[in-house]
Amino acid sequence: MLFNSIDFAIFLPIVFILYWFVTNKKLTLQNGLLLLSSYFFYGCWDWRFLFLLLFSTLLDYFTGLKMEQVKTQKSKQFWFWLSITVNLGFLGVFKYYNFFIESFAAGVSHFGLQVNTTTLNIILPVGISFYTFHGLSYVIDVYKGRIKAERNFVDYAVFVSFFPLLVAGPIERATHLLPQIKRERTFNYTQAVDGLRQILWGLFKKIVIADSCAEFANQIFNNSAELSGSTLILGAVFFAFQIYGDFSGYSDIALGTARLFGIELLRNFAFPYFSRDIAEFWRRWHISLSSWFRDYLYIPLGGSKAGMLIKVRNTFIIFLVSGFWHGANWTFIVWGLLHAIYFIPLLLTNQNRSNITIVAQGKLLPGVKEFFQIMITFCLTAFAWIFFRAESLSHGLQYIGGIFSKSVFSAPFDFEKISYKATLILILFLILIEWLGREQNYALERFGFKWKRPFRWLFYAFLLFMIAMFVKTDETPFIYFQF
Amino acid sequence: MNSFIKKIVGFLFFSLVFYFVMIPLWKNITPVYMQPNLKYQIGSFGHMFSRIQEVKKQKGDVDILFLGSSHSYRGFDPRNFKEKKTFNLGSNSQTPIQTKILLERYLEKVNPRLIIYEVYPGTFSSDGVESSMDLISNDKNDVRSLKMAFQLNNIKTYNTLVYAKYADFFNWNKDFKEPIKKSKDTYISGGFVEMKHLTNTIHKFSNKEWHFKDNQVKAFNECIAFLKKKKIKVILVYAPITKGLYQSYSNNDFVDHFFSQYQLEYYNFNRLTKLNDTLDFYDSHHLNTIGVKKFNKILLNTLKL
Repeated sequence: MLFNSIDFAIFLPIVFILYWFVTNKKLTLQNGLLLLSSYFFYGCWDWRFLFLLLFSTLLDYFTGLKMEQVKTQKSKQFWFWLSITVNLGFLGVFKYYNFFIESFAAGVSHFGLQVNTTTLNIILPVGISFYTFHGLSYVIDVYKGRIKAERNFVDYAVFVSFFPLLVAGPIERATHLLPQIKRERTFNYTQAVDGLRQILWGLFKKIVIADSCAEFANQIFNNSAELSGSTLILGAVFFAFQIYGDFSGYSDIALGTARLFGIELLRNFAFPYFSRDIAEFWRRWHISLSSWFRDYLYIPLGGSKAGMLIKVRNTFIIFLVSGFWHGANWTFIVWGLLHAIYFIPLLLTNQNRSNITIVAQGKLLPGVKEFFQIMITFCLTAFAWIFFRAESLSHGLQYIGGIFSKSVFSAPFDFEKISYKATLILILFLILIEWLGREQNYALERFGFKWKRPFRWLFYAFLLFMIAMFVKTDETPFIYFQF
Repeated sequence: MNSFIKKIVGFLFFSLVFYFVMIPLWKNITPVYMQPNLKYQIGSFGHMFSRIQEVKKQKGDVDILFLGSSHSYRGFDPRNFKEKKTFNLGSNSQTPIQTKILLERYLEKVNPRLIIYEVYPGTFSSDGVESSMDLISNDKNDVRSLKMAFQLNNIKTYNTLVYAKYADFFNWNKDFKEPIKKSKDTYISGGFVEMKHLTNTIHKFSNKEWHFKDNQVKAFNECIAFLKKKKIKVILVYAPITKGLYQSYSNNDFVDHFFSQYQLEYYNFNRLTKLNDTLDFYDSHHLNTIGVKKFNKILLNTLKL
């Protein structure tokens, strides 16, 4: 069941009505409903993987309890490592088994050796990277004594499987989400309206921006060998906005949906394409994953308190792991590596925290320097996205080779049947609204709040109209569902 | 909570009104590339407007009525059926859903003795959206159009129908005249569209299968039942496409089996003709004038008309 589907448009109001009108008297009933609807939501993809989700949830739940019950540190460590090993083991098998086998076979073949490898036809359970990381953060936090183990299984299971975040995040922390699940929730008009507004903006970004960009990005990436350098640049720009519209749109819908149930999820995007350097970009892109790696990998490895060499090593580790988290392909690893290379100069010159405020705060336009900083950062990220989107490393290199050719000075290819002018106009519209709303949590949060209601409604109705005008008639899944 | 629900209902109503107001405005003030889901094209490719205007003025019964996709209106030339009075009601990618509407609207007008129904499997595998927009744009819209829109449940069809209703109501197309010659197409009285001698460049096609859609099969069954009730003889014809395209489908036997089960005469002319992929077609789907002549001669002989 996709957020941008008719099924979800029916499912959400039903759960909403049951939640606030039928189960509202008792928190246990509300949480039970959330759990049931989350499992139904997940089962719509493939009910068989519900067992995997349930097993992972049970494992971490009992691990938490056991770690508190046992008396010796050794026993605590045993349970801790058992959970970590099994969780990462599942992730390894489902997501990385074939990659390791194939890479090993390819590696030894360079030395003239042939090995018989057996790859498995493994289906990747949707959202496994996300709910595994939920569970891991909980186990680590209990182990470190940051939180107490959760005793109510239903509450814990809702934390892992809450349907708005189940398949593509944001990656939640037990310290943030569990207390909200355990607290009595009353209907809050402002929060619910805000949630709907965020859903609307998320749908616009996904359906109008991302799906329109995808049409061209796919054509250009799939035929990159025959297209001019200027067209390939256009393809990279379209993909940059496709992935932003797709993933930040998904996150907005997830956050907005959670708000309808009185729950606040972690913010995942903060206008990353207005970043003035790569460090700022990573504070604004997929925030819940970046902060997860910071808290559970970077800091335990020594973080920024160690010497410069250790910091550089840790930075490389974080970005490579982040790339690998996205998928079992060398293209993701190179994408991570490129970001590490972008980041290291800032780290070495102590500039990695020089842009922590909102760009051009309180002003209508950025300064000239800020403008160029934003443009350069965007170009660097768009360049790295080429590897993220490419089918293979050789495809990525061929694409880049095509950009750095004479044909970069020719006019972009004119697609006969579909015009990319509309997509460029839509991207400009997105940039305008996001720029005006960049000081808020999401672009539409306070947009038009000084206007009278009819004018505000006109704007929202216009967004809906644009969705009706640009929606693709086939449902298009979110990119991050594959991770 | 009550206030929240009231506001939601109010906003939805407001959005609906806004949508109906915006459709004609958007169509008229923005360039075509900003209207990907609003495909109102009167006088579009295929001369559907001229065909509809002609069938409305039709006087007297016809001997043969042709139905089907572009394979029909580009494949059955009335000049090759000299002794018979024919009319061709084919349209772009016409699926059984649209055929049913055309029959309901115009069957009595032409009152044919025989219907040659061109059954291209592609139209049974299609969602019918493209064809719905062709029909909506070029014909007056009644409650059948609305039913079709609900049946297809596609935003493109809804948007186009809303605009078409405005066009009908305000008579925006009263002065519209479709030229007989458009690009390389010439409209021939009787519903045929002629494409002058062009040859086809051969393409390679990847292997694929036909997958018929349930709603199209249901509509087809309804068409056949409707015609049986009217006691009109129906012959099903799979008109020729290039061998390359035909053979790229691995389940052609399924298609033959499917149409044979209706206890009507059914002829697959891809098996009955030996046309040349280059010289008798102008693209992989459509016969050129030479091909049409050859095909119609074989058809007349085979059907003993």
